[in-house]
Amino acid sequence: MHNTQLVQAVWGGVLFGSVYGLMALGLTLVWGAVRLLNLAHGAIFIVGAYTAYWVVSTLHMPILVALPAGVLVAAIFAALMHVLFIRPVIGKPGFDNATLVATVGLSISVSAAVLIIFNPEYKVVPPVLSGSQNVVGVQITNQGLLVIATSLALFALVYLFLTYSRQGMAIRAVSQQRDAASLMAIPVVRTYGVVIAISGALAGLAGVLLSPFFFLNPSSGFNPMIQALIVTIFGGLGSVRGALVAGFVLGLFESFVEVYLGVAWALPGVFLLIILMLIVRPNGLFGIGEVRRL
Amino acid sequence: MAVRAAPARPEVDREATPWRRLSLGTAGGVLLFGLVLPWLLVRLDIGNFLVVLLILFFMQAVVAQSWNLIMGYGGIYSFAQVALFAIGGWTTGVLAHSLGWNPFASILFAPVVATAAALLIGLPTLRLRGTYVVLLTLAFHELTRVFAITGPRFISGGGYGLTIVPGFPLGNVSNDQRLIFLYYIAMVIFAIATFVIWRVIYSPLGVAVTALRDSETYGVSRGINQFRVRLLLFAISAFFTGLAGGYMTHYSTGISTSVFDLSRLIDLLAMIVIGGWGTFMGPILGAGIVIGLDQALEGIGDYRALAEGLIVALIAVFAPQGLWPALRGIYDRFLGPEPAEPQLAAEAEADSSAGG
Repeated sequence: MHNTQLVQAVWGGVLFGSVYGLMALGLTLVWGAVRLLNLAHGAIFIVGAYTAYWVVSTLHMPILVALPAGVLVAAIFAALMHVLFIRPVIGKPGFDNATLVATVGLSISVSAAVLIIFNPEYKVVPPVLSGSQNVVGVQITNQGLLVIATSLALFALVYLFLTYSRQGMAIRAVSQQRDAASLMAIPVVRTYGVVIAISGALAGLAGVLLSPFFFLNPSSGFNPMIQALIVTIFGGLGSVRGALVAGFVLGLFESFVEVYLGVAWALPGVFLLIILMLIVRPNGLFGIGEVRRL
Repeated sequence: MAVRAAPARPEVDREATPWRRLSLGTAGGVLLFGLVLPWLLVRLDIGNFLVVLLILFFMQAVVAQSWNLIMGYGGIYSFAQVALFAIGGWTTGVLAHSLGWNPFASILFAPVVATAAALLIGLPTLRLRGTYVVLLTLAFHELTRVFAITGPRFISGGGYGLTIVPGFPLGNVSNDQRLIFLYYIAMVIFAIATFVIWRVIYSPLGVAVTALRDSETYGVSRGINQFRVRLLLFAISAFFTGLAGGYMTHYSTGISTSVFDLSRLIDLLAMIVIGGWGTFMGPILGAGIVIGLDQALEGIGDYRALAEGLIVALIAVFAPQGLWPALRGIYDRFLGPEPAEPQLAAEAEADSSAGG
């Protein structure tokens, strides 16, 4: 009995931790490079998820077609957002205000649009892998294992991309010193666009992979986004490694609280943890002294 | 015979103390108009409906102004406004419903508890900047929402909120009179909140936060205690937000968990952004516009939130000043008095357009 609870808590923690990490990875990349707090991240999440749902339910395609479609549409949506709402204010004095309000406005528009196109009823996206294993009474779904593997693989991929590829080096250069990067003939604004599109693709992927665990509705992007924001801050804004570690730490913490204290305590617990964290280490686990900056 | 120069007396800076320019006649006239208006309106066919709209306008304007005070003037990106509104509403609702208090007594506790909650959330967050405040206040919003839905039964009402809160006891009066009394209460709250916020904006506190918003380094080096100033501003904002929440609970004899919907948040944000971020009149104008449009666009239903979100995003990016500064510019150019000191006026203009 105790074993069951323990396995349940660990499994839930690792599963959700990896997804929070995936969502947080996109947020932290955009923050690190563009200094943009993207409050439309949850909206991009549901854009990806609903695209996959539409491909499966209306076009009757298999989920393996819907998955890349969802990721692609989410990335395109993010790129469009960059062109229409972010690019015009880059370098202007009111950048923080404008992007904050614009992304909030956009995310509400997306929820409303989804509500109009589909309907408020809960949707189900089929899992990529079906079936499950039974470990001491806990169902370990194959989809869950896929999500964890994908998440870890993507962290490795993003890390390698940032470290070794030309584009990745450009992104790092832009995030460290925008003016110097621009003098080195790095197209700063285009690099921003690339980062935002990558972040959108990650959010879309999270949306498609995660929606079999939840039912999908127009506002189901809000909660993952809050969790991702918490993970991002816990791990240190702008830190890729921080997003990975903090994702698992918070996922496990939340899962243990849920299993042993009850679901109602999960959010207050996480909230308390993050406030303690900010008091003890205001920059997060791997943050680099940038609390004073929006 | 030499003309003796008058002794130089320091002139009160009229730009800094706008209430000195307000004549008693104007203030009294506006007040009288506000008092008489509902009596005239209820004689019309759709008059009652208009009075209801005015009540809504008063309350939304109070919340929008309070939010603008911390977001627009203070540069504190707090998204806890709706949660504080709900806390005010629930406080007085529970006191009146579960303990049977007189609403006129229990509503006094709404702003107090909301302010206490604001201090609680402000203590750990307001030392931090920007993003952290956004995150923690959003998380606070979510936390409050979850608690309101899943909390103890006398709070959650089984997930629907409080459905049978007593209204204000106004004695045995006709429906029209009842509505007019409700209107008066709303107007008094609106008038007090507006006046206090107006004074706060031009007080040393308001000047200090505006300085911090525009140049933190400069403000701090002039000896402003950033944390204390922001906490105080946050508390003032929460006070009136909670009061408005308390009023709305008794006005609509209940408070539902749908106040936490994101559409409420975008409504308030739209008022500030459309009217003019970081201007005194902006949120009031914005509240009027959003409530008016709300009625005009009733037919388009779900498309309203879609349009509203897009409009807010577009204005924030392409016309961040909002409507009020534009209207003000037109007034000054065509109708207003000639500026006495063009240089000073130009500077003030530059200052006000630099902010926000």
